[in-house]
Amino acid sequence: MTIKPLDLSTRAITTGGAPRRKPTRRRPLTGILLGLLCVLMLSPFIWMTLSVTKPTDVAFANPPVFSGYTPTLQAFVDLWQTTYFADYLVNTLVVAVVSTVLALVIGIPAAYALSRFPSYVSALLLVLALVFRALPRFAVVLPMYDISKSLGIYDTTFALALALVAINQPFTIWLLRNFFAEIPRELDEAAMIDGCSRIGMLRRVMIPLMGPGILTAGIFVFLFAFQEYLTALVLTDSSSKTVPVFIATQLGQTLPMLQQAGAASMLLTIPVVVIAFIAQKYLVAGLSDGAVKG
Amino acid sequence: MKTREFWVLFFPSLLVMGALLVLPLVRTVQWSFEQVRYGVPGEFVGLANFVEALTDVRFGRAVLFTVSVTVVTTIILLVGGYIIATAVNRLTITRPLVLGIMLVSYVLPNLVGAVAFSWLFDDSFGGLANRIIEAFTGNQVLWFTDQVPNGILVIANTVWSMIPFAMLIILAGLQGVPSELKEAARIDGASSFQTHLHVIIPTIRGVLGFVTLITIMDVLRMFDNLIPLSPQAQSIGNESIMLYVYSVAFADGAQRLGLGSAINVLTILLILIMLIPFIRGIFKEAKAER
Amino acid sequence: MVLIRYRATPMIALAAVGVLALTSCGAGSRTGNANATTVSCGYTAPEGKTTVNVLAYNSSAIDPFTDTMVSSCSTDDVTLKHDPIDFGGQVTKTTATLAGDTGTYDIIETYGFVIPGLAEDEKLVPLDDLYDELAEEYDLDALSESMRAGMSYDGKLYALPMQAQMFVTAYRTDVFDDLGLKPPTTFDEMITAAEAIKQAGVMEYPIALPWLATADVSTSYQAAMNSLGADFVSADGEVTLDTPEAKQALEAMLSLKPYMDPQVTTFDQPKVQQQMFNGTAAMSIMFSGRMNDLTLPANSKLSDSFGFAGAPKLTADAPYSYNRLSIDGWSIPFNTKLDKKMLFTMMASAVSEKASKASVPAAYPARADMVTDENSPYGAAANDSIDSAMPPVVSPYLADMTNEIRPILVEVLNGNLSVDDGLAQMQSAGEKIAG
Repeated sequence: MTIKPLDLSTRAITTGGAPRRKPTRRRPLTGILLGLLCVLMLSPFIWMTLSVTKPTDVAFANPPVFSGYTPTLQAFVDLWQTTYFADYLVNTLVVAVVSTVLALVIGIPAAYALSRFPSYVSALLLVLALVFRALPRFAVVLPMYDISKSLGIYDTTFALALALVAINQPFTIWLLRNFFAEIPRELDEAAMIDGCSRIGMLRRVMIPLMGPGILTAGIFVFLFAFQEYLTALVLTDSSSKTVPVFIATQLGQTLPMLQQAGAASMLLTIPVVVIAFIAQKYLVAGLSDGAVKG
Repeated sequence: MKTREFWVLFFPSLLVMGALLVLPLVRTVQWSFEQVRYGVPGEFVGLANFVEALTDVRFGRAVLFTVSVTVVTTIILLVGGYIIATAVNRLTITRPLVLGIMLVSYVLPNLVGAVAFSWLFDDSFGGLANRIIEAFTGNQVLWFTDQVPNGILVIANTVWSMIPFAMLIILAGLQGVPSELKEAARIDGASSFQTHLHVIIPTIRGVLGFVTLITIMDVLRMFDNLIPLSPQAQSIGNESIMLYVYSVAFADGAQRLGLGSAINVLTILLILIMLIPFIRGIFKEAKAER
Repeated sequence: MVLIRYRATPMIALAAVGVLALTSCGAGSRTGNANATTVSCGYTAPEGKTTVNVLAYNSSAIDPFTDTMVSSCSTDDVTLKHDPIDFGGQVTKTTATLAGDTGTYDIIETYGFVIPGLAEDEKLVPLDDLYDELAEEYDLDALSESMRAGMSYDGKLYALPMQAQMFVTAYRTDVFDDLGLKPPTTFDEMITAAEAIKQAGVMEYPIALPWLATADVSTSYQAAMNSLGADFVSADGEVTLDTPEAKQALEAMLSLKPYMDPQVTTFDQPKVQQQMFNGTAAMSIMFSGRMNDLTLPANSKLSDSFGFAGAPKLTADAPYSYNRLSIDGWSIPFNTKLDKKMLFTMMASAVSEKASKASVPAAYPARADMVTDENSPYGAAANDSIDSAMPPVVSPYLADMTNEIRPILVEVLNGNLSVDDGLAQMQSAGEKIAG
């Protein structure tokens, strides 16, 4: 946070637009090591893919079997047909989408408002965002459990989505505020000269300008909701169970059901991996802007 | 901006955060002074819960384990993240591919990543990583029943899921180091290692501080990955603080809310204390910039 | 060009998602159980749409009854919902759903061990009236009387028994035949056999037992004490964990440790099955409900190399075998909002004669004389085991006591606590609960 804001466009980070240097002698070694690292980072995922596509009698064999069997998708078929995985997946997606939409709807105005306040407020905001993010989540979630039970909204996707919106709100506002702060204030004044109200100006001028920023914040909130286990564990039971909670309840099951849990893991992983590749530059922008300009 | 406009824009957020963050926190503090179960009003017991928490050996072990894992993970993330970021900095064409692959472990839900990780080390499931390690060291390593190997397993998984984050942030910081500085160092005859140590690292101090801060905050709260990786957590002393709260105040219908809330409050205090240097730094900078 | 190349990766991923999504055709359409069937299930349905939530863990023995219930009793307006869950999860959710005035589940699977405690706390609905009303229609009197007694407390019936489970020994017939070994009848014979197998270099840890530091390990300790004719409490409620039998049982368990995988305290029954499937263990003792899995070719290449025998005794002169007789049944929780007669009808249909017959050999139904040597590969072993099991000691404190002593037991088994210290600690922990 002591770095002066330099021109760190995300393109620079993802495509390496810095001035080309002469390749140094260590290049091939670096390439090989990085390749090895990539394999290592993907190895749990690869192992799970292998285990899940083997027939049950060799899937968990010790010593492991790598050939001499025909790969099969039976675990996936069984997962869809004998469990309520479709429901769990829908729940997970609904919670993620609802919390993203809600978080943005209430976060954007708040972030804008805070970005137009003097900078010590932004420091205070950063501190609050950090403190709330650092809190042990049970300190918030256990009372939520109690409240939701007495209000009768326990085990609903709405309650879970609302909880996630609140939990991620400080981070969302802080992230959006950083993006808003880059837009010069003169633009506000200019837009309002024509008699536009501030809220109207927000809608018609700011938000279109903020496209990438909003997308970044949206992707982050979506990912946080998708990855959530602890809050879902406490606030859901049967009707709004999400996929991570389902996977955790299968850890003591027999082989075929363990394979189904692995299949569920993969089906959950693939969308987020796609996001990681396609939306890479937004994730990078969000993370690095926060670090560098915060 | 007029004050009224400010409040109109800010109000919905404030309402949500106030009702769903501040109120529950207040409730937790209230419960920490009571003996209470869900749905039933509690009875005031003063500091009894705190005394019980602080004198409980299990709590002490949980704190020790959590803090140790946090410290080790932070160091590995800083060093490893820096090295990897430096390496990735040299890439041009393959950079998006490498970044995409690296990001996979960060975007996966922690639980899913930990389940996949645990299968690699469990002989009952073929445990490829375990076989490779046993082949190299010639020893049998009990990843799930020995405290230290299990701790290493947990640290490895935490590093695996957080290093993309560390690497990305440090990469952003590295891009901001002016090339003139590096040129000057080279002209002065500094070796590569010296350049890193005395020129680059001091320049990206702030970024490294940010990584440290976020890592500490996130690892202190670890919970998800212990479920598959450390099923014996309590008996081998590898519980995290959050796991301890869970088993005391929620798991198996346990309802010792008072004790659980007291532990939560103690953890909040611990985290606040650890954050104080960073908070002071932030305010100092804000004042300087004014 | 560069950008196009790296669009390929997400495209490939999307294609993979597409393929995997195609496997979703017919989502939720079948229960897929060879041992389940459809029976008549006539009840008066309430107005409007209703969901009945069933809590039952997955095992090849319980699933037939659960699946029969779900497929037979669901109609257009009434849906029976059964989420897959492991045994540990069922224990957690049972306590959670019974804790408050409203719960999530309407039918829960219970077993003899927890009935006294739950009945004492009034968490289950007594079923006597409903039983009398519907006994004839569903032929409930054919349910074994001793098993109905096992599901009763204080003279009232709290669960409808569906099956019994008892410890059965599973062993590798090929390994035993090669080495001229016979199935063990005592712990000493187990050790001798294990030694022989180890010496022959066939396996390093020939014995596998479910000693996971949850209900599994405390059940095993209880079984060891039962073999000697003792239990955690005596019939009059006195805690008996500092007795010679307690010590002998604990030491017998420790004597098996050198022949078991060092991580045995992480083994639940599925993991023990895994040891058998992978050929890393040659003998194991588990509940009978886990035996059928061993005989299925889909599960392992060794499926026809497994033999079954009754549970061994601790010593040759022990009165009973190392065994727990567990009766599994269906109960109605006190806090369900649905019509209890409808729920009872569903439970009764699941334990009907047709359903019970279909569940063999996966389960040992509670109806008399359903399992024989012919219709079940482990039938003879199961019948031997039932005869040699100690009649259970009934106490409402047992379940809570077991939770308290379990961490101490695990410490002793892991070698961190001496036997005598462990017994003393367990005794005082038990006395705290039993008063």
